[in-house]
Amino acid sequence: MEHAPFRLAAATLALAAALAAGAAHADGVSAGTLIENTASATYDDGSGSVTIPSNTVTVKVDELLDVTVTSLDSGPLSTGPGSAVLTFEVTNAGNGPEAYTLTANPAVAGNDFDSTIDGIAVDTNNNGVYDPGVDEVLTGPETTDVLAADDSLTVFVLVTVPTTAGDTDTSDVELLAAAVTGTGSPGTTFAGEGVDGADAIVGATGAATSATGSLLVGITDVDLTKSASVVDPFGGSGIVPGATITYTIVADVRGSGSVDDLVVTDAAPADTTYVTGSLRLDGAPLTDAGDTDQGSADATGISVDLGTVAGGTSHSVSFDVTID
Amino acid sequence: MDIFKFLFAPILAAAMATGPVSAQDQSVALSGDVMLEKATVGSDGSTTTELVEPTTIVPGDRLVFGTDYTNTSSETVENFVVTNPLPEAVRLAPDAPADLTVSVDGGATWGTLSGLSIPVEGETPRPAEHADVTHVRWTLATVAAGASGRVEYPAIIR
Repeated sequence: MEHAPFRLAAATLALAAALAAGAAHADGVSAGTLIENTASATYDDGSGSVTIPSNTVTVKVDELLDVTVTSLDSGPLSTGPGSAVLTFEVTNAGNGPEAYTLTANPAVAGNDFDSTIDGIAVDTNNNGVYDPGVDEVLTGPETTDVLAADDSLTVFVLVTVPTTAGDTDTSDVELLAAAVTGTGSPGTTFAGEGVDGADAIVGATGAATSATGSLLVGITDVDLTKSASVVDPFGGSGIVPGATITYTIVADVRGSGSVDDLVVTDAAPADTTYVTGSLRLDGAPLTDAGDTDQGSADATGISVDLGTVAGGTSHSVSFDVTID
Repeated sequence: MDIFKFLFAPILAAAMATGPVSAQDQSVALSGDVMLEKATVGSDGSTTTELVEPTTIVPGDRLVFGTDYTNTSSETVENFVVTNPLPEAVRLAPDAPADLTVSVDGGATWGTLSGLSIPVEGETPRPAEHADVTHVRWTLATVAAGASGRVEYPAIIR
């Protein structure tokens, strides 16, 4: 090279290289692609126009090792003590097929408690929901199938929340995915270990990355308090035949979660008779028939279906009996 | 050059020649090469850039494709034009010289990038971008007997 009329200034090159360093992205050229460059020259040598080609230079694109992990849970996962499932997505951000080793870490700094990892499962039927017995639980070392470049896999981390966890406690679980070919600082090269014998080179993610899913414990208790008041036929409160007893049952739901299918039932005591039409919920009358309202009642007792009740609310059920 | 991992295709001079010129009459020799531009951050935090053999290349890397030419004859050649189609897997680097003559339509029309546009169906054409470039071209009025030189363009692996 004796003269370089089209050479760029070195300063411009350095700037461009710095800009280009962050330019690698997931939808890059596939590993193994051949880049072939051939120039040609046309000139007039006095006897006519001549066209000649240069040699072709060929380089093969190597395999970039990159991975991203994201939590697919929209926010902290509300759960009680017992089993819970955190959902993640692992994406091959490189340009060649790669498998990833998965590791779940339940001991994240700042946790109120640490959950127990029961397993890592892949969404075998691709429905986004963990289906026990259908979605494959990986065996150690937990390794995904080979993912094509840009492909994603939904992964479930199965955890158990200990019974010692308190209401409103939070806990994070970290899922780490690491390229099987290798990991390291960006630029680390694994000679010959890429596609078709190309090199594999670690990308910006270090070929290992993690994401965090969060658990939020909601423990909800129901506290039932029953009270009675008596009105006798003489305007007093004597417990005598003919007197009316009003029973009131207050259901207090406590905690940060909610309870489902809360049903309050009570039996009419022996030697009393239920007063038809006396059933009330929060002061409003309910019909005795088992119809569309929440209540039903007959000679044996009452039942009120409160359905799902949020923590921090309370309901009062009352009914009357007469002493036989 | 043979220290590089390049594949050298046979020169198809006879097939490519437009005039009745045999191989031994050729006045000019061309030699292509490619280098990887690698940035290294020194211990003092400064970045230095060097051209290295492209032993390991991945998307986002910057390559420099070069062609050396030599007029091997004893006569001056005229209207010397080097044309280089860009491999599909690369795009012209954004900092390529603004006055470089390029084509964005497979070599049908030529100009500087700022003067070219890309047709958009049903709408007005949009300005051409570096990633649209399909060919680059250099033109020299003459190359004197025995003279040599080099042309090159920077590209980013898509």
